Amino acid sequence: MSSLFSFVGASDLVVVPLIAAAACALLPLGGLARWVAVASGIIGAGLAIALAAVSPPVPGGLHGEDQLVWAPSLGAGYHVGADGFGLALLALGGVLFAIGALASGTIRGRGYFALWCALQAAVAGVFVAQDLLLFFVFWEAMLLPLALLLWQWGGEDRRTATLRFLLYTMSGSALLLAGILALGVGARTFDIVALQDHPLGAGTQVGLALLFLAAFAVKLPLFPFHAWLPRIYVAAPIPVALVLSGIVAKTAAYGIIRLCVGLFPLGMELLAPGLVALAVVGTLYAAFVATQQDDTRRLIAYSSLSHLNLIGLGIFAGTAAGAQGALVASVSHGLIVAALFLLAGMLAARTGGFALGHDRGLGATAPVLAACFTLAIAGAIGVPGTIGFAGEFLVLAATFARYPVAGALATTVVVVAAVYGLGLLRRTFAGPPVRRVADLSWRERGLVIPLLVLIVVLGIAPGLVSDLVPGGGGPVPAAEMR
Amino acid sequence: MTAADLAATAALLVLTLGSCAVIVVDLVVRPAARPLASLGALVGLAAAATAAIVGTGAAGFSGAVIRDPASVYFTVLIGAVTAAALLVSAETLERDALPAGEYVSLVLFSAAGGALMVSAGDLLVLFLGLELLSLPLYVLTAMLRAKQHGDEGALKYFLLGAAASAVLLYGIALLYAATGTLRLDALGRATVNPLYLAGIALVLGGLAFKAALVPFHAWAPDAYESAPTPVTAQMAVVAKVAAFVALLRLVAATGRAPVPRVDWEVALAMFAAATLVVATFSALGQRSVKRLLAYSSIAHAGYLAIAIAATGATSGPAAAFYLAVYAGLTFGAFAILALLANDDPTLADLAGLWQRRPLLVVLLGVFLFGLTGLPPTAGFLAKVYVFEAALRAQLLWLVVLGVLASVVSAAYYLRVLFACLAPGEGAPRAEPRARVGTAVVVVTAILVVIVGVVPQPLLDAAGMVRF
Repeated sequence: MSSLFSFVGASDLVVVPLIAAAACALLPLGGLARWVAVASGIIGAGLAIALAAVSPPVPGGLHGEDQLVWAPSLGAGYHVGADGFGLALLALGGVLFAIGALASGTIRGRGYFALWCALQAAVAGVFVAQDLLLFFVFWEAMLLPLALLLWQWGGEDRRTATLRFLLYTMSGSALLLAGILALGVGARTFDIVALQDHPLGAGTQVGLALLFLAAFAVKLPLFPFHAWLPRIYVAAPIPVALVLSGIVAKTAAYGIIRLCVGLFPLGMELLAPGLVALAVVGTLYAAFVATQQDDTRRLIAYSSLSHLNLIGLGIFAGTAAGAQGALVASVSHGLIVAALFLLAGMLAARTGGFALGHDRGLGATAPVLAACFTLAIAGAIGVPGTIGFAGEFLVLAATFARYPVAGALATTVVVVAAVYGLGLLRRTFAGPPVRRVADLSWRERGLVIPLLVLIVVLGIAPGLVSDLVPGGGGPVPAAEMR
Repeated sequence: MTAADLAATAALLVLTLGSCAVIVVDLVVRPAARPLASLGALVGLAAAATAAIVGTGAAGFSGAVIRDPASVYFTVLIGAVTAAALLVSAETLERDALPAGEYVSLVLFSAAGGALMVSAGDLLVLFLGLELLSLPLYVLTAMLRAKQHGDEGALKYFLLGAAASAVLLYGIALLYAATGTLRLDALGRATVNPLYLAGIALVLGGLAFKAALVPFHAWAPDAYESAPTPVTAQMAVVAKVAAFVALLRLVAATGRAPVPRVDWEVALAMFAAATLVVATFSALGQRSVKRLLAYSSIAHAGYLAIAIAATGATSGPAAAFYLAVYAGLTFGAFAILALLANDDPTLADLAGLWQRRPLLVVLLGVFLFGLTGLPPTAGFLAKVYVFEAALRAQLLWLVVLGVLASVVSAAYYLRVLFACLAPGEGAPRAEPRARVGTAVVVVTAILVVIVGVVPQPLLDAAGMVRF
């Protein structure tokens, strides 16, 4: 296997979507642009899986590593490579970008798909960058296509929502840049791998970790930095909301684990109690708010916020098992939220809006839609047999091992999730039919069913994902493992 | 005149003789505006090429005109920007019915002033350069008298500029009284006394005016708005480059002296902080795009002041890199305005531009992203370099302020971009098809992105700029 794919490098993950973006922008492709975007997503996922199959030259090293001189005067280099966590998310990203492009059928225009592919390239860049300045370049590069996609193709409230989103994320990234520069100037290098061996005092680690966390807490978003999220999920076109929540938010999870935990293990260990508390509060708060929503998209938004805070919880637990849980939960959340957003869009196309409670009993005339929705919700509330369960279980177990009180509190989210999840199903599909609606077309089934298959298959075999990062099983803090 | 004198002033001679040649050609041949502007651009390029070919060497006129890497680097920059500004002017000259011969020759004279300022090794030459730079700009600003506030802006610029020149000259006189020399390198060896410090303060004030640092910035938005837009581009770049190079030389010369020496760090850090805060928040409230960009260029003076306040080994290279990148970005943004039918638009006037001229919006996007400091444009690395230099000098608070200012700046830059994307009302206006001007802007945008992706060649060039 390893020799078969050895020509694949981490750079390809960025280059392929960039070429696709250029093709969409410059060539008169017409309707073909969508298929170029789909192909770019599929190739991205394929490349990530191929890279995972090639073992790195050093055990525990980076996959598909590549290094070039970039700006030695600044101490910055072009250094790319992917670790297991990044690869899993890259594969997820490829799948989501392909499905999102497919679902963008009603949106015409090469410009849209050019921005779409550019966003994919930037997201892939964040996952492969092994130099802090390069990481920041890709981190900021995500903003432009995302902002334009929201601004041009969003719903009613898009202007305010986009500006608020930009203001929040850019304030976070400004502090991230300050942190990166402070770290890089002190250590005389921006190389992430080299920086892992750079000794830092505990106080410095806490300070830098906070600067880095500022950006990641906003992007994830961690409670209480989530004020931009519900608005943007409602204003965004369904495919953009899908990738924004499914994969763009995961760049923050990756950033926390790769940069904050990787570079400042001691600082994160000192901050952990506070961060764990925030994540627990965020998980529960968002789930409670979700039970009060009358709009499908807002409900999904808060459910998603709850899951994203749970991912944060897994990382902040600080153990290898917690990191494994966070990875599985990330992949799980990506697949589930994508399925939910697509299904909500399809539902809205039939009922004429996202408001809940007007049209009950849709299950009678649209059984396939109801079945798919039920399976996706089952994943969201963590029913065993779906990947949702695997992710939640790993995170909660890891948290419980180190912070029993926090773990116990966080576990109650399962109950609250059932309330909003089943409430959504009840208010939509149960009861006597009020009106007749068409069931899912074959095209729509083709979009959703691959996601549902992945949700179940990975739920049965979560090891396919979790084995990509070194597990420890026991409650060993990452700080002590090094 | 020795060979060294000639070599030190070669680029200057090209500019001044070229400027005179333009007037003669205009009088004798009476060509159209377009060939005249092209001739002027050729002179600008020739000056840049001359500076690059002659290279560094011994100073001329017994040290009054320096020929070091800095003077070469910045003369090339000034020559190139002047040529680009004149190429963009080709179309606007015809549209606004401006006297082409005078216009082109004045632009070249101001470039000569800028080139003299960046090679000044003597305070009197510095003053000479400043006046040669400023006087043509006063005239150029007043050229568009048909415009509503043309006279007001020009008069404001002239009166305040003249006062600033007087302040600078008085400072020079005090420094001469205190030290008995006008040579910059000798200033560092003099003993620091109250007279000396008063002189330094006045010179600093005069230069801060030209660099448009807060609180000496009030003239800039009015002057930028009144001037023909290509002149605004030229003014925003050449005057700023010249003023900052003079400031860098002054700081280097007086900061190198044995103790007690002038402590620049605090003064410049204060200038930088005030400029960043005031300019960034003033820009937020602007409706006119030209005024908004004027405040943006004031804010960038704040970032440059951070680089100078750092006063370390990387201070010079960081400022040089930043100035070159700033030159490309600011010139590009103003040049795009010059290419529009309405070259002094409000934000609302930009609506529908995406439908009319998508290429210009994409290019404007590149420049605005660069000015914000976002990758992959060179604007990002320029800011990183400046912040690195400041962090080496332990100026963390200034870096945090600068980083936060660039976040706020994103708000007003994005407003411009989003204004272009808004759907236009009514029948689409015909935009002029300025081929040459568009080509110049395209090349500038490509350069800005290339430097952002492959920065090392420019970093190497800027790395040689030490004062």
